[in-house]
Amino acid sequence: MTDNAFIQITDLTRKFKENTALNEITLDIQEGELFGLVGPDGAGKTTLLRTLAGLIGITGGTVLVAGTDLVKNPEGVKSQIGYMAQEFSLYGKLSVLENLQFFGELYNVSSSIQKERIPGLLAFADLTAFQDRRAANLSGGMKKKLALACTLLHRPPLLLLDEPTTGVDPVSRREFWNILNNLHIQGTTIIVSTPYMDEADRCSRVALIYEGRIVECDSPPAIRAKMGAEVLKVITDDWRKARAVILGLPGVQDVQSYGEAIHVLVDSVDSRSPIIKKALLDNRLDIFEMREIKPRMEEAFISFIRKMDQEN
Amino acid sequence: MSFRHLWAVIRKEIQHILRDRGSLILVLITPTVVLLLMTYALAVDIKHVPIAVLDYDQSPVSRQFIQKITAGDDLDLYTSAGSMTEIENLLLRGKIKAAIILDPGFSADLFSLQGLALQVVIDGTEPETGGFAVDHIGWRAETFANQILSTQLQASGLAVDTLQPIDLRIRAWYNPSLVPQVDLVPGLLSVVLGFPAFSVALTLAREHEHRTMEQLLATPIKRIELLLGKIIPYILAGLMNVLIIPLFAMAWFDVPFNGSFLVFLFLSVIFLFAELSMGMVIGVFMRSQSAALALSFLVVMFPGFFLTGIFFPIASLPELARMESLFLPGTQYAIITRGVFLTGIGLDVLWPYAVMLLFLGLVFTGTAALFFKKKLA
Repeated sequence: MTDNAFIQITDLTRKFKENTALNEITLDIQEGELFGLVGPDGAGKTTLLRTLAGLIGITGGTVLVAGTDLVKNPEGVKSQIGYMAQEFSLYGKLSVLENLQFFGELYNVSSSIQKERIPGLLAFADLTAFQDRRAANLSGGMKKKLALACTLLHRPPLLLLDEPTTGVDPVSRREFWNILNNLHIQGTTIIVSTPYMDEADRCSRVALIYEGRIVECDSPPAIRAKMGAEVLKVITDDWRKARAVILGLPGVQDVQSYGEAIHVLVDSVDSRSPIIKKALLDNRLDIFEMREIKPRMEEAFISFIRKMDQEN
Repeated sequence: MSFRHLWAVIRKEIQHILRDRGSLILVLITPTVVLLLMTYALAVDIKHVPIAVLDYDQSPVSRQFIQKITAGDDLDLYTSAGSMTEIENLLLRGKIKAAIILDPGFSADLFSLQGLALQVVIDGTEPETGGFAVDHIGWRAETFANQILSTQLQASGLAVDTLQPIDLRIRAWYNPSLVPQVDLVPGLLSVVLGFPAFSVALTLAREHEHRTMEQLLATPIKRIELLLGKIIPYILAGLMNVLIIPLFAMAWFDVPFNGSFLVFLFLSVIFLFAELSMGMVIGVFMRSQSAALALSFLVVMFPGFFLTGIFFPIASLPELARMESLFLPGTQYAIITRGVFLTGIGLDVLWPYAVMLLFLGLVFTGTAALFFKKKLA
């Protein structure tokens, strides 16, 4: 926590009538970070991003973006930000090029600079061949890339992307992340929310949001380490039965199923695996595979959420 | 205020109108079509009302009378009935709207100078038509009686002049022939120019419905730039109607245009600003197009019909409705259009209405700007 963090969020609270969407969030984000927001649906990711974009008012706390107080001067930061909403929110009746030009005008990008930057952005988003197509007729992935291009025309130092790859095919998803990596390398600060844990793994730092609070905030390897559990991958002839057998054993924190395989979260693989093996064999289950694997963000995430739920 | 932002919104809006058939029809064609339909529906001259006659007198005079009554194109003789039962049947089946019964002593009464009683039966289920028939029968009967009497007086050597009763002649100024559409078309203009206000309400609600508002609010655009950018394209579209409709009214309905076209254009711009600002207020509060449409009918169209003095005199409205009518741009504009089209008055007379319209426009726009927050929630 430094005083000169690019984004300083202190005790940020936002209530919608009875429901507290953001509950005393304190978070610093440094310039140049590729920062991930993960959490289940309804956790508050969109509310946090909209708050940072100056789109919704806050109930309490302070938010400083590049030194500007968002409560006092919400309009002051808008030119510094590129915001991409979760749902497609460009003009379907306008062409790809016209959408870009429209947002270029609103962000005060002069027409000569627009002319200079647009071909690059179109190429970068792989949309050069479709520049005259109406935005409504683009595929899901192309719409997302156009939306990103529209937020980049004014070269904002801060990008806020709300689930930019949701509903996009895996190939487009990879392309999209390549674009983000390039921007990250160029020094743009990016805050991205995502429901995909493999994407969370690509961020420099991740905040886990749950019920309006930040449960964990660290780099992906550190989060995995903090989970305090090791993962044992087990494949048997009956995963449902195996799961039931393992769940009650000492040291077992959680059992998650992945198709035929189950991932057992235990405090120590070395000390607990003999007991697990014995229990499975006693129940006449055939063990096809049983080995320790590196915990993934997914396990860490589910484990944190389950822990939170148990505490409540 | 940045004119770049304003122009960007205006250009985007015009592109949308031109590419969306529904929007294009609503702003350019709907006003003219609705005006045409309403004029035809409302400006009906009653003509060729079918009547029957039951003639118990059967004299040359009674036959002459019947012939005179049905000489014009207002009343048509459907049949000469033989009995009251037949007349009742004809009325019930809707074949006739009125019947005249001539008593056996009809011609004798006529010459006796004791006054003439004429029995007329009308179909009370259509009071408009029935009343029309009674008026016309009475008027023709009187003319006929006067003619007969003057002939008789002349024959007996008396001066005809002495018989003339009061001769009341009503002369309607500015619409001498009292053709209904002459008065209707300028009045209806203020109603049908409400449709562009619908478009303004819809275009703002659409930004919410299509989620584009979220992206728009994230940009450094100012509220007034967005609101003006939304209203100006529709003022221009409304102006195209202001050009089309008078030409149409003059060519098609023979409505005169006695005033200055420049004055009319100038006042129309101010009216459109005020009227469309109402649409802007609706659009600021409504988050869906269906809600914006429903409210536009309620706030723009219905009061435009009933409270602006086009059909019902404002003086006859209840007090609360009279106050509302004062705040409707259509009320001022109906006075302006009738004045410019029919009486040919200019700004020297119409300026107070222009000031009121400007005031209303500023109040509505101010309200819209005040309640339009650059926030989603």
